[in-house]
Amino acid sequence: MVKTHKILMFVVFLLLGMLITLQFRGIIQNNEGQMSIKELAASLEAEEAEGRRLLEELNNLEAEWSQLLNNIGSRQRDPEIMALINQRDYEYFRAGLTNVRGNGIVITMQDAQTAGSGDIEDYIIHDADITGILNELRINGAEAISINGERILGTSKLVCAGPTIFLNKSRYPPPYVIKAIGDPDILYDAIDQLPNVAIMRIYGIRIDIRKEYDMVIEKYRLYESVDEWLSHLEVVSE
Amino acid sequence: MKAFKTMALTLVCLLLGIAIAWQYSSVNENLVLAQYEKKNLSQLVEELLMERNNNENLRARIEELQQEVDALKNDENMDMKYVEDLKKSVLMARVMAGLETVKGTGLVITVESGGQIKVKASHIQELLNELKASDVQALSVNDERIVATSEVREAGDYIMINGRQLVPPYTIKAIGDPDRMERSLRLMGGVLAKYQVYEFNVTLEKSDNVVIPAVRDDGTVIRTDKLTPVTQ
Repeated sequence: MVKTHKILMFVVFLLLGMLITLQFRGIIQNNEGQMSIKELAASLEAEEAEGRRLLEELNNLEAEWSQLLNNIGSRQRDPEIMALINQRDYEYFRAGLTNVRGNGIVITMQDAQTAGSGDIEDYIIHDADITGILNELRINGAEAISINGERILGTSKLVCAGPTIFLNKSRYPPPYVIKAIGDPDILYDAIDQLPNVAIMRIYGIRIDIRKEYDMVIEKYRLYESVDEWLSHLEVVSE
Repeated sequence: MKAFKTMALTLVCLLLGIAIAWQYSSVNENLVLAQYEKKNLSQLVEELLMERNNNENLRARIEELQQEVDALKNDENMDMKYVEDLKKSVLMARVMAGLETVKGTGLVITVESGGQIKVKASHIQELLNELKASDVQALSVNDERIVATSEVREAGDYIMINGRQLVPPYTIKAIGDPDRMERSLRLMGGVLAKYQVYEFNVTLEKSDNVVIPAVRDDGTVIRTDKLTPVTQ
């Protein structure tokens, strides 16, 4: 009688213990966090799709606009207007608003494949690594620079955002492809001998540099209204 | 009988111990997991807000361009509008390139060494990068306009920008949203906190009338000799 009682108690406690364990795991795994993450991910995806659609719409509109301007431009016979058209083309070219062609280098950077011992931060590419390279390219005479197809201007934004970088107005994951037009030999040597490039290579960050001839660097694209882009400033006429 | 009782008790205690340990480790593990999910959540929210903001901007640009296109199509005095547009585009491009003197709201910051550590090119570069990250619209150091080809380099005790040697104190002017720029400079562990560690003397002033001069237009800063425009 006493023996049966004890065995029964043993089984009851065993079940109780298992139940509590399962309960705890269940509560934490089914918290509502997961649900809202799913919802958020869905809205993010929808917003990204909308962004792609808007970008395409903008592309078409830009094409229509420049076609329209070309048509009107080709009708012009007034030398003053023709001079103005030439000036517009020239200033667009200098401002980075025109695709350009030339010789230079292409740098491809990719995070280390596996992190070794030490700080994980050392194995991924940071904004300062890229801005350092941009500065070195400029010191060595680069005339046009783009990263992943985004033309880099004087005020271009370049920030780390988790494992990605935020460039001008968009976010890019690695690999980062930096194109620079200038003297290919000078640019190649400058980047290849950069101390920080050597350090990154020690950590296994893959940096491939190659000279490239007759390549195209894309123009800077306006992703927002011009008024917004220059909202805080006005021109001082001399 | 007694030996059996002791054994049973030992067994129960052992199982209980294992159960508690298991429980503890699983709860612990779940806490880590929950934290990760929370971080993921805030990152997702951030990304979502950013995408929305980007799309707003895109819509504004599309609307702006659509108006241009409509005006070009419908205006009876099309050629007049065309000339006006041309002049506007020229000016906009020159502002973007840094070829026009501009004024507006923003910050004026001065930086100078206050102790053993000299102000280096990399210190100034870090400040410029932070300002660019806060959507600055025009930028200069000692009145050298920062343009697409502007380098910041070390030259002995001084720094060089746009091929010119600059001497301290360095005055950085930035046109943009003053509050936003100041906030990001004053972040914990941010640029100004580092400057404090280096014992730099720093002044920061918000102004409604920051004037930033144009870059010199002699072909030495904005260089295009190795570029060919691609006509579509």
